[in-house]
This record gives sequence, structure tokens and C-alpha cells, in this order.
Amino acid sequence: MKKPVIITFLLFLSIGVFSQKSTDTIIANNAQNLRLKVYYFHITNRCNTCFSIEKYVRQTIDNNFANQLELGIIDLYILNCELPENRDLVKKYDAYGATLALTSYVNGKEDKSEDLTGLAFKKVHEPDIFISELKLKIEEFLK
Amino acid sequence: MRINHFIISILVVTLLFGCNTSSTKTEEQETTDTLAQAVTKSPDTTAATDTTQKNIAEPETELPKVSVYNFHVTNRCASCIAIEEATTKTLKTHFAAELRQGRIKQYILNVDDDANSKVAEKYQAFGSGLYVTRVFKGKETTTDLTGDGFKFAKNKEEKFIEILKNKITEYLK
Repeated sequence: MKKPVIITFLLFLSIGVFSQKSTDTIIANNAQNLRLKVYYFHITNRCNTCFSIEKYVRQTIDNNFANQLELGIIDLYILNCELPENRDLVKKYDAYGATLALTSYVNGKEDKSEDLTGLAFKKVHEPDIFISELKLKIEEFLK
Repeated sequence: MRINHFIISILVVTLLFGCNTSSTKTEEQETTDTLAQAVTKSPDTTAATDTTQKNIAEPETELPKVSVYNFHVTNRCASCIAIEEATTKTLKTHFAAELRQGRIKQYILNVDDDANSKVAEKYQAFGSGLYVTRVFKGKETTTDLTGDGFKFAKNKEEKFIEILKNKITEYLK
């Protein structure tokens, strides 16, 4: 009698786990060309602001750096910070909630990092400014 | 003997007037300054008529004040609620005395409410936001802690509390 209930519960649990995983996006096309990693971390239960930040990050890259993304010069990581597989990156970037960060690479090694979370939340309601400021920051990191 | 009585009477009258003047001044301060109100109401200031006490109370009216603004929208997310809860916890745990004195004030404001439109516009708060403002001698300084709030309040509360506590401590100086 209890078996169907347990099976149904496990089924829902597994659906939950897999649906969480499916939200992560990693675009990394060529490690040899890598100059910049763009990270956006989010929690599982996301709000409109959090979705908007991801949207504008993607727009910034798609509209200005599509070529670099395709060539692997820029990598994009959209990660759920509450998933266990992202634990190390979460710790590294202090990304326990919504966090936007850039890390530049020189000859395959990490060069510098910057946390842009403050900027992201400050400008998320002014998309044009958000995109232009993030674009400038990415250009600066690619120099 | 009569001269002695006369001198004593003059001293008493002088003291009484002195006391009245001093307490009137305190009341004037109360109407314009919530900090002064808190100071004069505290149990330690029962000797408010004492000029020495008055001199101690006066400089305190010039201490910096801190306002903590938690802005939110009507439909709140988990992070937004966590920011407010952790902010309240920080203030109650580390700044209870300053809250009582009125040196720190917390404002929890819905930006969707028209009544808050001016203050929301001032802080450019269109959604969730955490701002700490220091007011001292008519000058305002504000730090935007929204990013730190979203980064830490939900899953790393102790770190958020540390950041907010440090900022408020700095602003109270």
C-alpha cells in the first residue's frame, strides 16, 4: 500500500533534481583561445530580477561578443549555486546567491577577477546602461 | 540673620530659574531631534536639570545617524525576504541600543506603493534594494549593499551580517 506512495515521491524528487540540473548553461568552445569567463550564479527559486540579469548578460554577449563566444575566447557559465557540483566555484567566487563575475585568462592561466554583482543589481532596471557597462567591462578584460 | 535668609532665598531662586532654563532647552531639542528625545528619556538622565548633564547630552545630538532601507516589490522572492530578515537580525543583535536611541532607523518599504515613490526614486530602487545612509551635519553618504544582500543573505547569512555590521559601525563613527 505504501509502495506506490514512496515510488511517486521518489519520482517527483528525481524530476526536481534533474530539472535543477537542466538550468545550468555552460558555453565553452575552445580552451586554447580562452581569454575571459563570464559567470552568473543564481539560486534555485529565482525571482524576476535574477532572470532579468541573466537575460541582459546573454544579450550583452550575443549582441557584442557572439564571435568571441563561438571561437572560445569568451566562455559563459550560468550556474545554480545551490547544486552540489558547483560548490567549488561557489566558494571561489563567494557566490552563495545571485552573483555576476568575470575572470580573465592569459596563456591559459587566470589573470584577474571582478565581482559585478553590485553593478548588476544597480542597473538591472536600466537595461541599456546595464548592457553598455557590462560591454565596457568585458572589453577592458579582453585587452 | 535676615541677610543670611535673603542670600539663601536669592540662591534658591537662581537655582530654580537655572533649572527651568536648562529643562526648556532640552524640550526644544526634543521637538527637533529624535536622538535628543531618546537621550533625555533614558533613565540615566534623571538629573537633566544639571548643567553638566546638559553639556554631556548636547554633543550627542551631533552624532551621526544611520538609516537602513530595505526596498522590496509586492511579490517577494526568497532572497529579498532573506535580506530583510538578516538585516533585522543584524540590527537587533548588534545595534539594539542605537535602535532604541533612534540613532539607527530601519525602513522596510514596498516600491510598488505610491507612498514610497519619492524615497524609492531618491535611491533609484526599482526592485529589491538595501541601502545604508549616514547622516551627519546635514551631509548624507549612502552605500548600496544590494549586491551583497543577494549574494549572501539567503545561503551565507553570517557573511552578510558581518558586511552590514561593519558598514553600520563605520557609519556610526
